[in-house]
Formats: sequence, structure tokens, C-alpha cells
Amino acid sequence: MAELLRVEHLKKYFPTPAGMLHAVDDVSFTVETGTTLGVVGESGCGKSTLGRTVLRLLNPTDGKIIFDGRDITKIKGKELQNLRREMQIIFQDPFSSLNPRFSVSELISDPLRTFKLCRTAADRKKRVYELMDLVGLARRFENSYPHELDGGRRQRIGIARALSLDPKFIVCDEPVSALDVSIQAQILNLLQDLQESVGLTYIFVTHDMSVVRHISDDILVMYVGAMLEKSPSKELFKKPLHPYTKGLLSAIPIPSIDVPKTKVVLQGELSSPIEPKKQCRFCPRCPYADERCQNEVPAYEEVLPNHFVACHKVREINGL
Amino acid sequence: MNLLEIKDLSIHYVTKEGTFKSVNHVNLELEEGETIGLVGETGAGKTTTALGILRLLQSPPAKIVSGEILFKGTDLLKVSEEEMQKIRGNDIAMIFQDPMTALNPIMRVGDQITEVIELHNDCTHEEARKRMRNMLELVGINVERAREFPHQFSGGMKQRVVIAMALACNPHLLIADEPTTALDVTIQAQVLEMMNELKEKLGTSMILITHDLGIVASNCDKVAIMYAGEIVEYGSLEQIFHHISHPYTEGLFNSIPSLDKDVDRLKPIKGLMPDPSALPEGCKFNPRCQYCTEKCRTTEPPLYEIQPGHLVRCLRYGEEGQ
Repeated sequence: MAELLRVEHLKKYFPTPAGMLHAVDDVSFTVETGTTLGVVGESGCGKSTLGRTVLRLLNPTDGKIIFDGRDITKIKGKELQNLRREMQIIFQDPFSSLNPRFSVSELISDPLRTFKLCRTAADRKKRVYELMDLVGLARRFENSYPHELDGGRRQRIGIARALSLDPKFIVCDEPVSALDVSIQAQILNLLQDLQESVGLTYIFVTHDMSVVRHISDDILVMYVGAMLEKSPSKELFKKPLHPYTKGLLSAIPIPSIDVPKTKVVLQGELSSPIEPKKQCRFCPRCPYADERCQNEVPAYEEVLPNHFVACHKVREINGL
Repeated sequence: MNLLEIKDLSIHYVTKEGTFKSVNHVNLELEEGETIGLVGETGAGKTTTALGILRLLQSPPAKIVSGEILFKGTDLLKVSEEEMQKIRGNDIAMIFQDPMTALNPIMRVGDQITEVIELHNDCTHEEARKRMRNMLELVGINVERAREFPHQFSGGMKQRVVIAMALACNPHLLIADEPTTALDVTIQAQVLEMMNELKEKLGTSMILITHDLGIVASNCDKVAIMYAGEIVEYGSLEQIFHHISHPYTEGLFNSIPSLDKDVDRLKPIKGLMPDPSALPEGCKFNPRCQYCTEKCRTTEPPLYEIQPGHLVRCLRYGEEGQ
């Protein structure tokens, strides 16, 4: 399969009064056409910033973003605007990401107008209907306003807007976390169907481990701006190597009463991303941390085929 | 005797736009030391039920139309507001979903907890402060942080403060409304572990409101599944998880992506929750139900007891249905 996106040593820092906030710190990965990369982590780990920086909604501090064979790290103006036709985003909150004064058909045709994609109003209307059918939004809602619709339908508008420009690549930033489970399942199925029929490539940002396992081909685990582990999704759940991933997976409440409860409850909380020390980001909470972990940033290396981990003691802990 | 017994509770919101039937004929029983999970999606009436027990609903628009809430044998709907104030916080305490808004932002954390203790107990300020420090220790917060303000605490720590406050007067019943929904998974695991330990230590009964069946599996003794203001399935943890009976419960379980089995496509429940101002006739779930028959559209199903203690509101379990 062809590689669609390559990110190399991407960094995004934000200046704060207390110092530089390292939101994304040295992240590298590739995504192949037609696949989904899941990015997981807890709040404040930099997963949303990563998604936005890849789209150039935020300007990277350092590193390279190569999309479809083209370096897009520094492009601007018209070129950047045209890039938006190929890369789109679906936002987390379908309540605040839609203009409340636009009707459904205005919301969906907005991108079409911006890029002057339809010659006549009739063409545009036809395209809006096509998109509404595609995302499963009944045509009778075309003149409704967002506040009249429920969360699931609003999220479908967000998806229709993202799809309206025929992008190749979509960043889904927690698209289902504001929805109830039964509606969440409907939206997940829709995203999967679209991937199959249109051949989309996704980066799927979420904190929900069961959702990410369901939808992703590969999973990247982030912690306070740094990537700790990346592997094919099934392998990650079968054989997590990083101590943080192990803790994260065992913290998920499983909806079954037959599973034995062997929980590794991680103690402590996330450390601050402002001016982090030169050490493993996870070491203050890590049960295995020793002196080396406190003084040296662990290298990100391929421990098993296609399974990358950043941990000094990964071999020792897992007996590899 | 049951600690809490809710009989035929109905709560409506009466507004200009119409009457919203938020809670309809709910029956619940809770024994001493037990935890019941109240599960359902947004708008199922979980929080309204909880606020109804504490009589914290704003009226108007809310109106308790019928029912009895027996707490240790007294009907909470009949006691005076003064008496109710004594019961709140003292006998029944509540943990709210969002710890960020449940605390007073301009009051020191320690003072907030002390205030609760002083209000409900006949004790000196010094005794109250001592008890406050014990509570902080109990929920795993360094006592020195009592002088800090809520904004200096992280989400997980704030929720611990809220829990300390709720447990400060040794309540018999704790109502926890989505206590960990706003928290990250690793922090959620810490808070749930702590709540379970405290519950065992203090012997508190709990109503745990959640939409997460995973949390129910590891924390509850009994489960009530709510849909459109009604309890559609009710039973012990084992009965609900091993003998899923109501089509809605089945749909809920099928909507959750599995962590160990490979499923290509989820099987979600089609459609949406009905508008509480225009509930469908017959079974409230019938427009979304895959087993729906002609009879479901006209007949309101009663609760059938399919096993001792396992109740299901579905016509498939009626005499004719079987």
C-alpha cells in the first residue's frame, strides 16, 4: 500500500508565562492510504494538537509533514488553502463546531461555496442532497437549524461538511465521545462504511480504548506530548509492551462479569508538559523506573517487528 | 427492611411547550450496604430520579406526579422542607457528575468540607476541622492541601474532595451521578477503587448512575436499566449480564465495541430515544425494537418477573408471548 502521510520529528510548543509547553514532542509516524491510525492518550497528552498540527491548522515548531509525496510543513497562502480540499477534520463537539445561524443545507454547502465547486445553486443543492444521503441524514432536515437536532444528527452534519470537498484524508478528533453508546455505534459504522466506499484515510484521535481498537489498523499511544508505543491495533491489545499502555488497558472497565479483575491501578497523575525534564515522561508514575529513566529520554525503537516502544526497560519488563 | 424503597414514582416537567414525562412509574429497592447501578442514555431519567429522591428538583417546572420514596420507612415526599434539609447531606448525600462546578471556586477546600460537617453535626469548629482532616486523609489527599482553592486541584483530585464532602457525615445512602465520567481512565480507576474501599469500610449503600456498563460490572450488586423514564430491566448483576432479556439492554451491549473479540461491524440500536413530550403509544421502545409486533404498538407492557428478582418490561415475556 502507498504511504499517504509521513510525519517526522514533529514538535509543537506553546509559549506560556511559565515556560514552553511541549504539547507535541518529537512524534514520527506514517499512515498508509485507506488505513486508520488511532491516537490514544489521556486529556492533555497532545493528541488533539497532533491532529491539528498535521492538518496545518497549527504551525509546527519543528519537524516535517509530508502528505501525498509533498512537503507541506511550510506551505502557505493559496497553496495551503487548496490543501484543505484534501485534508479535513471532524470535530469532537457537534454542539459548538456548527454555526447556530446556518441551516443544515447552508452548513453543508458552505465549503462548496468557499471553494466555488458548484456552478449553480441547483448543482449545489444536488450535491448537498448527495452528501445528506451519504451520511444518512434525512432530506427533510435541510432547513432545520443545529439546535433542533440531536447530537448524532449534528455529528452527521460535521461529517458531511468534511466530506463535501472529497478529501483523501480526515482527522477525526474524538468524533463520538459526546454521543450516547447506541448513537456512537451508528456513527462508527458510518465512518467505516465511508472508508470502504470512498477509500478514505483517517487519523482517529480518542481517549476511548474500545472505540480505538474497533476502528484502527495501527495505534499510537501518547503521554504528555511524547509517543510511548505504536503497533498494529490487535497486537497492542494482546501484547502491550510499555508499562503505561499496560496500566491504561487494565484501567478500562470491561462490561462483563466473567473477566477476572487483575488491575494494575496506576498511581499518581500526569506530569506537567511545561519545560519537561530530560527524562522518560512516564517515569514519575512508572513502577519500574530507576535512575536511568530519570536522567535520560528513552529512544523510540522497533522492539518487535512493526511494534515501536520508547522505554529503557522494555526488554527487561517483557522478558524479550 | 429495605433502606430505600421507591414505589411508582413519576416525575413530569410541566412547561409551556408541553408536559415532559421524564420519569414514569419507577420502582426501586435498595438494601443496607448494597449498590444499585442505574444505567441508561442521555434523557432516560436517571438524574431526575436521583434529584427527586433528594427533593432537589426545581418546581415548577418539575412536578412529582405520583409515588412514594420510603427512606428507612418514612416517605420523603411527605416530610417538611426543614426535615428534608437535615436528611440531605446527613443521611443521603450526593456526588455530582462534574467536580469542576460542584465546588465553590472562592472558598478553600478545607473550609468547604468543614462547613458541611458543622452544618450537620453538633460540634465545635475544632472538632469539625479535625474531622475534615481525617476525611482528606481517607480520600488520599495530603492534609496540607486543605488551604488550597479548587482551581489548584486536578479533576481527579477535585472529585476526591467532592467524595470527602459527601461522606463527611457518614450518610447511609450515597447517590453518585456519573462520578467518573469527567475523568481520564487511569484516574477513573483510582477513584472507583477508592469509592469501593470506602463503601465497604463505612457500610454505605449507593445508587450509582452511569451509562458505562463496564463500571456497573465491577461496582454494582443490582442493575436497573432505564429507557424513556421507565425501568425496562431490573435484576442482580448476574441476571443482567448473563441473561440479557430486554431488547434495549441487548442493543446497549451490542453497541459497545469489544476489547477482546473481533467484530467487523457494530450492531447499534436504530433510531433515537423518543421525545419525552411525545412518547410513543404501547411499548416506549417499539419504534426502535427489532422484535416489535402489532401488539407492542398498542399495549403498554407491564414488568414481568422472569426469574425471582429479574424483571423485564417486554411483551415477549408475557404469557402469550412465550
